[in-house]
Amino acid sequence: MSLGRLAVKRGLQGVGVIWGVITVVFVLRFITPGSVINAVAPLDASQETRQAIAADLGLDQPIYVQYVQYLADLVQGDMGYSYVKGLEVTRMVFQRVPATVELAVAATIVAIVLSIPLGVLSATRRNSPVDYGATLFSLGGISTPNFWLGIMLILVLAVQFDVFQTSGRGATSVAVVASVVGPEPFLGTLLEWLSYITLPAIALGTYFMALITRLTRSGMLEELGKSYVTAARAKGAPESLVRYKHALRNTLIPVITVLGLQLGTLIGGAVITEAVFAWPGLGTLVIQSINLRDWPALQGSLIVIGTAFVVVNIAVDMVYGYLDPRVVYD
Amino acid sequence: MVSPRVIRNLKKQFRNSLLPKLGLLLVVVVILVAVFAPLVAPHDPTAQNLNQTELPPLGFSKTVNVTSAEVVDGEIKTVSEQTTVDAKLSHPLGTDGLGRDMLSRVIYGARTSLLVGILGTILAVLVGVPVGLVAGYSGGTVDDALMRFADVSLAFPSLVLAVALIGLWGRATVAIPDPFVAAGLASGMPSSTTLPITVVIVVGLVNWVWFARVARGEALSLRQEEYVKAASALGASDTRIIGRHVLPNAITPIIVLGTVQIAAIILLESSLSFLGFSGTTLSWGFDISQGQDYVSSGQWWIATMPGIAIMLSVIGINLVGDWLRDALDPDIEGEGGT
Repeated sequence: MSLGRLAVKRGLQGVGVIWGVITVVFVLRFITPGSVINAVAPLDASQETRQAIAADLGLDQPIYVQYVQYLADLVQGDMGYSYVKGLEVTRMVFQRVPATVELAVAATIVAIVLSIPLGVLSATRRNSPVDYGATLFSLGGISTPNFWLGIMLILVLAVQFDVFQTSGRGATSVAVVASVVGPEPFLGTLLEWLSYITLPAIALGTYFMALITRLTRSGMLEELGKSYVTAARAKGAPESLVRYKHALRNTLIPVITVLGLQLGTLIGGAVITEAVFAWPGLGTLVIQSINLRDWPALQGSLIVIGTAFVVVNIAVDMVYGYLDPRVVYD
Repeated sequence: MVSPRVIRNLKKQFRNSLLPKLGLLLVVVVILVAVFAPLVAPHDPTAQNLNQTELPPLGFSKTVNVTSAEVVDGEIKTVSEQTTVDAKLSHPLGTDGLGRDMLSRVIYGARTSLLVGILGTILAVLVGVPVGLVAGYSGGTVDDALMRFADVSLAFPSLVLAVALIGLWGRATVAIPDPFVAAGLASGMPSSTTLPITVVIVVGLVNWVWFARVARGEALSLRQEEYVKAASALGASDTRIIGRHVLPNAITPIIVLGTVQIAAIILLESSLSFLGFSGTTLSWGFDISQGQDYVSSGQWWIATMPGIAIMLSVIGINLVGDWLRDALDPDIEGEGGT
C-alpha cells in the first residue's frame, strides 16, 4: 500500500476515533450525578428561572437532539460558552494549547537528546560502569512520580540558586523567535524563557528519557546480535557505520511507536506538571473546569486532548511506514 | 500454565542477577510494612502535636528565630534570637506542619498505595481479561467493536480521564476496620483504614483496556492451535474452550502486565491524591502536596520522604516485573501507560 493511500485510510479511521472521543465526552455529562443546571443557576433560583436557564442552554431538549446539535456546533468550531467565565470555549482552549504544546515539546527534546546516546553507549559498552549507571538511572526515572521530581528540582535548584522560576510562564517561545528580529533583546528573552521552562521540562521529560534509554539499549542489543550486522562487519564496514547507520536506525522504529503510544502519558504528565509549576496550559484548565463543573470548558479540553492524541498517532504511523518499508498494514 | 521450564528460568534469573533479589526485597518490605502498619508505626499517623511541628529528620537540625518581648524600663523590647532545633529519636523522619510523625505517615501511606494498586489491578483484570478473550476468540464484529472502543479509550490520558471521572462522581471512601486494633494489639492507632473506593473503580476502568488488548492477542493466536480446534470438533462449548484451554495459556502475559500495572496504578494514585482527587488524607501523594508548601521555607523533608517511599516501591515492583518478563516470555507488550 502506498504511503498516500495509507494516509487516507488512517485519516478515515482517525475521524472515526475522534467521533468516538466526542461521543464519550458527551455521554460523560449524562452519567454524572447532579443536574448541570445546579452548576449555573444561583442556589435560590426559582423553578421558572431554572427552566429558563435550561431552555437557554438547550438542556430541555431530548438527549439525541442535544447530541446532534453538539456535533453540528463542533463541526463549525463552536464548543459553546463557559458556564463560569462566559467566554467562548474554543477561544479559551486554544489560548491554552500553545503553553502545553511548548512544555510537551521541550520535555520530548530533553528526553530524546540525552536518552538515545545514553542507550547506545549502554548497549555498545555492555556491563561497563556506563551501562550500570544508565540502567540504574532509567530504572529510577520510570519509577519516580514526575510531580515529586518537580518539587525536588524546585528544592535543590530553584531554592538554592536564584536562576530558575518555579511558577508561571515568562516569555513564550514565539517571543524568543520574534526577539531575533524584533526590538526586544534576544539574549534576555531567551534567558527569561529558559528560566521558566527548564525545570518543568526536566520534570516531565525524565520519565521519557528513562523509557527511551531502556528501549534503545534493549533494541540495540537485539539488533547488534542479528546476522545483517555480522554480514556488514564481515564485509569490512566501519564499526561506526554498522552501529549508527544500520543498527540504530532499526532500533529507532519500535522506539517511535512506543513514543506515539506514550503520548497520552506525556499529556497526562503535563497536566500534573502544570499543577506543580502553575504552568498556564490545558491541564490547569481541565482541573479548574472539573472543580467548577464548567461542562463546556471540560468537554472542549478533553476533545482537544483526545484529538491531538489521535492525530499524532497517525503521524507516527506515517513515519513508521517511511522508516520501515517492510511494514504491511492490513 | 506455569510450566517447569518457566520455574527453572525464574530460578536461574534470580541466582544470576542482583536486580531480581533487590526487587523482591523491596516488594516484600513494602508488603510487610503495609500489612503490619499499626504494629510497625511508632505513632498514630493522624495524631497532631502542635508542640513538635516541623521537626527535622535524624541527622539534621534547623535554626529558628524565637522572638520574645519583655518590658524594660517601661518600654516593650522585642528580642529575637536564633536557636537550633535538633531531631528527636522518637520522630526519625521528622514531623509535618501539624506535628504528625512522618515515619508513621509513610508507613500508613504504603497501605493506601498497595490497596489501590492491587484492587485496581484486580478490577482491571476482571473486566479486561474476559472481554479480551471473548473478542479475540470469537473475532468478527465483537472483536472490531472492542478494538474501536480500545482506540477511543486510549485517546484519553489515564490521568486526565481519572481526574475527570473522580471530580465528577465524587470522592467516596470505605472504612476498612483494622484487624490489629480490633484484636487489641495496637492501641492508640486508627481503628480503620480509609479506602478511596472511587479511585479504585476509576483506575480499574481506566486501565482494563491494556488487559483486554493482551488477552485478545493471546486468544487470537491460540484460536489457531490444534488442540483448540480439536476441543471444538469434539463438541466442547465456547465457554468451556475459553475457560479450560485459552485462559490457562494466556495467563503468563497477563501476570507480567499485571505486575507492571500495579506499579503504574500506584503512580496514578499518588498523582490523583497529589491533585486532591482521592478522598483519603493518609496517602503519599497527599503528603507530598502538603509538603510542597514547606519547600521554599526550608522544611524539605515533608515532601521528600513520601516521594522516596513511592520511588522505592515502584522500583521494587518494576524489578520484579522485569524478572518475570525475562523469565516467562521475551516478547510481551508490557509498557502500560500511567
